[in-house]
Parts: sequence; structure tokens; C-alpha cells
Amino acid sequence: MTVKVLYFGRLRELCGSSEESVEVRNGSRIEDLFALCAAARPELGRFRPSLVAARNCEFAAWDTALSSGDEVGFLPPVSGG
Amino acid sequence: MSVSQPRDRIELTREIIPNAAIAREVRADEDGAVATFDGCVRNHSHGRSTLYLEYEAYESMALGKMQEIAAHLHGNFVINRVAIVHRLGRLEIGETSVFIAVSAAHRAAAFDACRYAIDTLKKTVPIWKKEFFADGAVWADGEIPPAPATAETPAAKPASN
Repeated sequence: MTVKVLYFGRLRELCGSSEESVEVRNGSRIEDLFALCAAARPELGRFRPSLVAARNCEFAAWDTALSSGDEVGFLPPVSGG
Repeated sequence: MSVSQPRDRIELTREIIPNAAIAREVRADEDGAVATFDGCVRNHSHGRSTLYLEYEAYESMALGKMQEIAAHLHGNFVINRVAIVHRLGRLEIGETSVFIAVSAAHRAAAFDACRYAIDTLKKTVPIWKKEFFADGAVWADGEIPPAPATAETPAAKPASN
């Protein structure tokens, strides 16, 4: 199944794009998706401790199961205001 | 479950924020107070001179989280109207990056709700700030938003005020 991954801030710069479509196995969780994305870009992995995940515009745990068509954001610490 | 009200103004914009107009707009005849917060671009950061800032957002999620803040204010403070407007893109020194206005019959609720709104926005709304200096640029440190630790148990709601 395919999910959409969004990158913001320093991750967008590091990945060189703000979104991508990623093919994941059925039953994958957000952490599996992140591992897949980080495998393609090893520098991404070191940000993992400071990131939170969002699934379809809600904060989500890393063990959240994905569905086809989900939109997942890997969000760096927020600094609005 | 309280919801944000149709008369609220929750917005992301790339234009200059019309602070005075927003402060007037939240005010009705039944109000005795309007508390506002004007977050503006400072010319220094960690001892360095800032040239300008750039803000970006996960826009659909940011608007949702800003609406949740407004809904929380209506559910927990005796207030009337709420405006939360955040600017995106390049901002110059002295420009407003976020403007919050809360009207209420009495000042205490207006002050408290306004303070809650900016404090919560800074912790939970997916917006990012990049600071540009003469000799480079950095993404601001920021705060890690509270997120559920596991999908197995229902997410705990943030403690209400």
C-alpha cells in the first residue's frame, strides 16, 4: 500500500523535498515507515529522538498501524509563535 | 466537547497581520475586556543579530491544532470570541508573527485565555521558524509536542485548566 510522507523544516532541507509517496507492506506501523525512509537517507535516523509523528493531521504514536492513503508527517520540535 | 465558534478567526496568512482590525473584530457590546498577544520578530537571538525570519507550517494540521486551542478556550474560560492568526513566509524585524485576541465580559478570563493560547500554540502547533543571521541560518530549537506514547491505549487528553 502507498502512504504519503511529509517533511518540514530541517527535515525538508535534509530530504530535499517536502513530500514523497512511499510503498509499505500491509500491516506496517509508523516506525516501520520511518525506518524505510531513514534507510534511504541515513542522516534522517539521527533526528528520530527529537521527532514526533503525525498521522492524518493528529499526533500519533510510533506504533500506530498505517492504512493505505495515510498522510504521515515526521515533525521536528515546533517553534511557532 | 466544546468546539471553536463560527465567530472565531483562526488563520494562517502570508500577509501582514492586521492587528488592530482583529482586536476590534473580537469585541462585542457584551464584552468588558479584550486581551491581545502580539508576538513579533526580535532583532537578536542567543546573542546574535537576526536579519529576518522564515516560518513554515504543516498548514492543515496547524489550523486544526489552532482550532483545538480555540475550542479549549471556549470550554474552559468565560470568554466571548477568539482570534489566533499566525504569519508564514519571510518576516522582517518588528513584524508580527502571531496575533491572539480574546474578548470576555471580565479581564481575568481574557488574560488567562490569551496566555493559555500562546503557551499552547508554542508547544503543539506544527509551525517552524528559521532564523537568518549575517553569517548563516539556523532552525530554532523548538519544543517537542506531547504525542501519545503508544497506539495500544487511548491517547490521554491534555489536562484541562
